[in-house]
Amino acid sequence: MMTINPENPTEKPVGYVVGGSLKDSLSVRLTVPPQEVKEGSFVVIESGDWRFYGTVTDLQLGSTNPRFADEQSETRLPPQVAALLHGQTLFTNLQVLPALMQEVGPDPASPEYDAWRAQHADDSGLQPQPVKTVPAHHALVRGARAEDVANIFGEPSERNFVIGFTREQNLPIPVDLEKFVQRSSGIFGATGTGKSFLTRLLLCGLIQYNKASALVFDMHNEYAYDDIASDTREVIPGLKSKFAARVRVVGLGNEASIRGQSPDFSLTLAESDILPEDIEMLTRELNLRETTPATLEALWHSFGRSWFSEFKKMRNGAMTEDPDTGKKVPAADSVAFWANQAGVNVMAAEGLHQKLTRVFNKPYILPNPPQDSLAEIINLLANGKHVILSFGDHETDLDYLLVTNLITRRIRDEWEKRTNAYRSHPQKNPEPRPLVVVIEEAHKLLNREMAAQTAFATIAREMRKYYVTLLIVDQRPSQIYDEVMSQLGTRVSAWLGDEADIAAVLSGLAGRDALRGMLARLQPKEEALLLGWGVSMPILVRSRRYDNRLFEEIRGGQPQARGAEDAIRELFGE
Amino acid sequence: MTTTSPLQIGRLLRSTTSGCVIGCRASELNLPVFGGMVRIPLADGTQIYGLIHNIQIDDDGLIRQLITSDNVPPDVLLDNRNNRNVPVEIGVIFIGYAENGSISHLLPPRPPLSLDEIFTCTAQEVISFTGSGRFGYLRHILRAEDLPQAELLAAHIRQAGMFHRAQGDPGWVQSITRELVTLLRDDYDRLMSVLSAVGDVNLP
Repeated sequence: MMTINPENPTEKPVGYVVGGSLKDSLSVRLTVPPQEVKEGSFVVIESGDWRFYGTVTDLQLGSTNPRFADEQSETRLPPQVAALLHGQTLFTNLQVLPALMQEVGPDPASPEYDAWRAQHADDSGLQPQPVKTVPAHHALVRGARAEDVANIFGEPSERNFVIGFTREQNLPIPVDLEKFVQRSSGIFGATGTGKSFLTRLLLCGLIQYNKASALVFDMHNEYAYDDIASDTREVIPGLKSKFAARVRVVGLGNEASIRGQSPDFSLTLAESDILPEDIEMLTRELNLRETTPATLEALWHSFGRSWFSEFKKMRNGAMTEDPDTGKKVPAADSVAFWANQAGVNVMAAEGLHQKLTRVFNKPYILPNPPQDSLAEIINLLANGKHVILSFGDHETDLDYLLVTNLITRRIRDEWEKRTNAYRSHPQKNPEPRPLVVVIEEAHKLLNREMAAQTAFATIAREMRKYYVTLLIVDQRPSQIYDEVMSQLGTRVSAWLGDEADIAAVLSGLAGRDALRGMLARLQPKEEALLLGWGVSMPILVRSRRYDNRLFEEIRGGQPQARGAEDAIRELFGE
Repeated sequence: MTTTSPLQIGRLLRSTTSGCVIGCRASELNLPVFGGMVRIPLADGTQIYGLIHNIQIDDDGLIRQLITSDNVPPDVLLDNRNNRNVPVEIGVIFIGYAENGSISHLLPPRPPLSLDEIFTCTAQEVISFTGSGRFGYLRHILRAEDLPQAELLAAHIRQAGMFHRAQGDPGWVQSITRELVTLLRDDYDRLMSVLSAVGDVNLP
């Protein structure tokens, strides 16, 4: 018996359970035209005192006997007889991936309800829980109602930030931001599928909720100031423009200019900030040899923290004439001179010096920067501000790798220190503010070779307990080290075409086989699959529009479902 | 065939638990029809219901002689129709019974006895019997594989469908067709043969 929907008494079930298993998915015989149910639909199965919640992952045409499907019986039989035949011998089965189950008890109007309620006086044990069994045969299946969505995903609020709407009923689907920031998460999607919009949307929610700070490594200068969408030519509001008081924009290098605007302050790095390990991490980018670690070790041994400045000052290939012998020998300030003294291979040292020229010449690395802008960033983040680091004109991979790793290493040290202090003396020291580090093009930092060397892999793996998590934004999740991928809590994925990328996004999740097809068949724009920790169950959403109306809504109003005008605009443009 | 009042069409020749053979005179042969529903009242008040699935006219010595003659005079023909001593045999398959006014689609508890009278069913009887339950009587027809099932079902649907429609229930034909599909959907050949016969039913 299906419960009656008070808002829509004429609601009909969409089908009934005919088979399946917990491991794979449930088969549901569709009793309405297939057009009424689509892949990704959120459905509810009512089985006795229990309710199961699941997602439609596939629709299959079937027949009781292949001959009914093979032969066009409508040409042999009168239409009404053919219709009766098709109704029973040809059918559509839904594959439903069950995710949650909840004990709801008998119908409140039934006599058994009071006895059941007495056994469950409080609501503990009546919350939705991961599915552990299957519904009975012939249990009725219906589309989710607004009350189901609210029950499973929560009522929209600042904490439950609406990221999109269900495909059919346009019901708001929120992400629990409290949980979202507790573990590292990822936003994935092929290029042009709306990754940046999803990131902006989530950042917007995080900044508004304001329980965690965000540090955004904005490689392409997209997030801070207003931008123009490449396809619709609409103005995309920047986070700085909308949250001027809470967001600080930092430009890389003096005289940085971001889209013609001056940042709040500039980030310059002191030469003494650079450690040998920062250079080792650039092995692939700078094409360094395997002798590099030994040379760097010797430099560190000779000069300590000032190794970078000292090495930079050395002249490569400088020779002088020995006053005694008259022979050409390495000058005292040459690389070779130091190498000979330090017992390092001269060729290796000279080779490294030459390759580091690209780093030596970076204008944002100064011998004595006027201020410790790294400390300033950390200070802002610890005090509840959100920082967008725009790379300005320094958009090369070298800049990105070097700067992000350096900052993240400092942040990791700082947050570890603060957490340990807090844990030792909770009365004296404040609890560190949770921090989300947003990294674009994450595969450049978290690929198999780099993951072990950068601070990011450590954060992804174990910084949860030190209040720092990552928000990875990437188009090639398969390139990210699988140890990092498997640690991601919440995953938001727009369309992905590559099999390996799809497999990577779903790695470590239950029901990944069933979800695989859904990811491959998402609309190429403005649709996303939400998975993992921050959402109660996998769900497909039409993403919320990131525009001025969004800001009006989050500052007071309720999220509005997408209307007909939006649909027309999406289809035909302005 | 009249449908407002029951008409006697013959008497029982022989019977089993699942069916019987009725004998009737050739002159009364305008009453029973293939697929028609009949009723056999028993002495204890039980009414057995059946469907006519076969009508058989046997020959005898006189007919054999007459067939070979050049010309059969009209009075001889009439005499043969009215006074022939070999009866027309009508095969009936039992499809249920009524006891104390309650209809059952099970086989009757005991078969009728020889020379019991057999009547055609009235429209009301047909509607009551076929409209009660969920077409359980189709079991008996579908089990009897030596019968021309498709044709028998089509004839039955035509007759009963007409009565139901006249009674204001045009959906009955659809319901019984749906039930047939359910019962036969694992047997493609038999279902298609039945449906194509049912498809040929044109209710007047």
